[in-house]
Amino acid sequence: MAFCLSGVRSFPKLWKNKPFLGLDPGQASLCFFSPGYCAIRSQQRWFSLKTASSQNKKAVDLLIAKARSLKKGGKDYKKQVSPHYLFAAGAAKKRSRMTISQSNKDHALPKKCSNIQLPIKPLNSEEWDRLKEDFEGKANFEDWIISQMVKCHASIDVAKSLLAWVAAKNNGIVSYNLLIRYLHLCVTHKQTSEVIDVYEIMKSRYKRLESSGYSLLIRGLIHSDRWRDALTLLEDVKKIMIPSKKNYSDCIQGALLHQDVDLAWNLYQDLLGHDIIPMMETLKAFFDFGKDIKDEHYSNKLLDMLLYLRNNQLFPGESFVHSIKTWFESIPGKQWKGQFTTIQESGHCLGCGKSLESIHLTPEEYEFLKEQIMKDVIDGGNQYRKTTPQELKIFQTFVNSCPPFDIVIDGLNVGKMCPKACDSEVLLNVVSQLAKQNLHLLVLGRKHMLTNRSQWRESDMKMIQKQASCFFADNISKDDPFLLYAALNSGNHCKFITKDLLRDHKACLRDAKTQRLFTKWQQGHQLAIINSSLRSKITFQHILRYDTVVQTTGDSWHIPYDEDLVERYSYEVPTKWLCLQRKS
Amino acid sequence: MNVSITGLRPFARFLVSFTHQRRKINLYPIPQRYMCSKKPAVPYPNKENSSPPALLELDGWKTTMKSSLQEESVSTVSSKDEDTLAATRELIEMWRLISKEVPEHITEEELKSVMELPSKSAKRKYLKYLSIKERMKKAKQMKKEAKAVAREEAKQAKLLETTAEKEQNFLFLRLWDRNMNIAMDWKGAQAMQFGQPLVFDMAYDNCMNGKELRNTVSQLLESEGWNRRNVDPFHIYFCNLKIDSTYHRELVKCYKEKWDKLLITTTEKSYTDLFPKDSIVYLTADSPNVMTTFKHDKIYIIGSLVDKCMKPGLSLAKAKQLGLATQCLPLDKYLQWDMGTKNLTLDQMIRILLCLKNTGDWQEALKFVPKRKHSGYMEVSQYSREFVNRLKKKTFSSYPQNSLNVGTQKK
Repeated sequence: MAFCLSGVRSFPKLWKNKPFLGLDPGQASLCFFSPGYCAIRSQQRWFSLKTASSQNKKAVDLLIAKARSLKKGGKDYKKQVSPHYLFAAGAAKKRSRMTISQSNKDHALPKKCSNIQLPIKPLNSEEWDRLKEDFEGKANFEDWIISQMVKCHASIDVAKSLLAWVAAKNNGIVSYNLLIRYLHLCVTHKQTSEVIDVYEIMKSRYKRLESSGYSLLIRGLIHSDRWRDALTLLEDVKKIMIPSKKNYSDCIQGALLHQDVDLAWNLYQDLLGHDIIPMMETLKAFFDFGKDIKDEHYSNKLLDMLLYLRNNQLFPGESFVHSIKTWFESIPGKQWKGQFTTIQESGHCLGCGKSLESIHLTPEEYEFLKEQIMKDVIDGGNQYRKTTPQELKIFQTFVNSCPPFDIVIDGLNVGKMCPKACDSEVLLNVVSQLAKQNLHLLVLGRKHMLTNRSQWRESDMKMIQKQASCFFADNISKDDPFLLYAALNSGNHCKFITKDLLRDHKACLRDAKTQRLFTKWQQGHQLAIINSSLRSKITFQHILRYDTVVQTTGDSWHIPYDEDLVERYSYEVPTKWLCLQRKS
Repeated sequence: MNVSITGLRPFARFLVSFTHQRRKINLYPIPQRYMCSKKPAVPYPNKENSSPPALLELDGWKTTMKSSLQEESVSTVSSKDEDTLAATRELIEMWRLISKEVPEHITEEELKSVMELPSKSAKRKYLKYLSIKERMKKAKQMKKEAKAVAREEAKQAKLLETTAEKEQNFLFLRLWDRNMNIAMDWKGAQAMQFGQPLVFDMAYDNCMNGKELRNTVSQLLESEGWNRRNVDPFHIYFCNLKIDSTYHRELVKCYKEKWDKLLITTTEKSYTDLFPKDSIVYLTADSPNVMTTFKHDKIYIIGSLVDKCMKPGLSLAKAKQLGLATQCLPLDKYLQWDMGTKNLTLDQMIRILLCLKNTGDWQEALKFVPKRKHSGYMEVSQYSREFVNRLKKKTFSSYPQNSLNVGTQKK
């Protein structure tokens, strides 16, 4: 949405009293590109809509996507993006779109607070007085009007005239509240000299500020010659609380802007020391700056940064990945060559043909994960919550007495797949199709499946038990933990079938690292059935063979990245890659 | 920056705190000169195309704002530990200036606990809690004062009136409250001897944080109060209540000297030791079995647990561990549930149980379920229609006994 914002910022003072044109995409785009015709109210609407409703964001996305597809010669943009894969970026969005038909609800109109038109040029005190008389509302007039100005990015001259009027009324005193809003305006308009003035005022008037004041000052000051003051402000913030990642990001960018590389790295270390995950912009700034530096030490640190991305499973955004590419290509003598690609299903990069890291866990990781699942998900401090100790014991002896399974099936999840068909029939269908392939199956279920009922026919269940090993848990036990344990216990080749994304079990794991291991294992071993008709041959959503993570082989790098226009859920992984190769 | 704007308070504060400067400033002619709005000013360096506001002086206020420099920066020397304390205090003060929800007055201990909170959002939440508390207290105080004034006036008016008619014949002295208490105590004593036991399971104190525990205790207090006022009270048991646990301390703190005179049984023992296992029914919303009727020969157990941190299945696990029967209220059967958890508060539970005990009418009993959680009672016809629909889906012949379990099983 940076697009929309920058569009607005570029025409700060061209408001005229033209009526708004409506929200039809075509007309909206007209608003976009010919900003002169936008009325104030329409801009407010743009803002409120942008934040309030995803619907509108979607509309904008679609608009842009449409424009793109035109450029690409009418290809369907969305279809091109995501392959059939459970954890691909944007897949959840697509799924939800398939299930829920879009209803075109009207957007709630922004609350009309007052009939006051924001002034477009500075007013004198009589005019302000008059405006104040028109104002009706509970809030303080000065506070209200300046917050409206901040919302609409009014020009700072108008705000300044307001402050002058307030000061005149108040013996030269302007409240902190107003000053902060004014500072906000100055920072958004990048009026550095004004920022410095306000900084002086704040410094003289208040011994300490609060977090938003510090943040604004830091952001404003880094562009000026007095950028080092931003660092002292950062120190002040540290006295009261841990600075935000935005604070650090601003300071680092300021340091880089003024060529103080060591300071920037120190700040970066400091940031990591507080266990804050840095903003992508911060990392991007280092890469952008690195283009002009031909220094072994610096480039090593950048490579460390890429490893940091790898270890924390972070994915750069589109603009960041461009910076990475240009930085690599700017390294003299090594002749890196970068290209944006996708990965084949077999796990080979389309750009260079190399195969990527396997999705399978290492033996140590595998053991660790198994232990953690047992400890946190199944046991969880109180065995009675998910199951009972007796049942757990029975299950464990059962699993250990059987040879390793090839596929573990969540019977209830699979059975309930087709709402119209009989549950046991669906399950039997799946089991028999798999059994024909000579796979050793385990079907997990609950005891109530065995009582002969319309949904679970006894004859079907008998057939299932003939073709697969079965384990039926108590009706009030959770069956998913058993599924996980059975699959993990059988070894690396074993897959499991369920459509469940298992997020609640992932949440039971204690730290982020274990959760990432779990995600990785899940991505490599979960089979989700796509087709929902009973008779057809079952097909699975295809499993990734490769691990989606920043990876290197020394003379090549493969970096997955997020596209700007695809919304990725946290359990999904990007599908686009940057492939970097060394020529020499 | 979406700070809600409330009132003139920040302004007022400034007026108060800078009045001494105002006098000083007035001595100098500079501010007035600058404040004059019809002063020719410097042209704008940054905006060429702006409409010429040349007649307005816009930068004058800065001078006066800066002029207080010397007076402010006097007292800044302090030791390290006090420094952070003062910094936090000032942070709160500044937050108040931008209309964040923070308390006006804060004690030393509260300030320390603010400092110890790990994150900014935790600090904000705690401060908001403090400010709401403060506001409530203030509103209460105001109301109290207004009431006192009104009472005084009423007294005066009455004095004028009642001088005429002095002699009246009364049957009772005005001792209603005390009489009521005595009567309730009699009933309570009777319940201690012959009443149906109702157990509160207090074994959850290590599953709750301080806030939840305090909420639980206040709910317990309320439940006990509802029970006391009933025609036919339960004989309440607080089981698994460890002496000198936080629970015990909180309860004693709330009841004070009344604690030892309460007509309930408190014990460190478990209910399984006190009652036969097969007559115990553990009430929990997670139970697969639905309560159909209130049985007068059963011992119902309510887990005294406020669960705000999403730990589902705790009480069910407990019942499973001890091998007890469980039941849940038939909320879905009688109410059209809208939102909210099916976990009810302890006082709601006891009121429902009391009502069931006395009348046995579910409709009547379930009126204690908060109205916001449901949109009305299920009509009998509607429920039976759904029931028949469900039956239609199955073959009729082999229908199992506990039909109500079907809905709770996994879909």
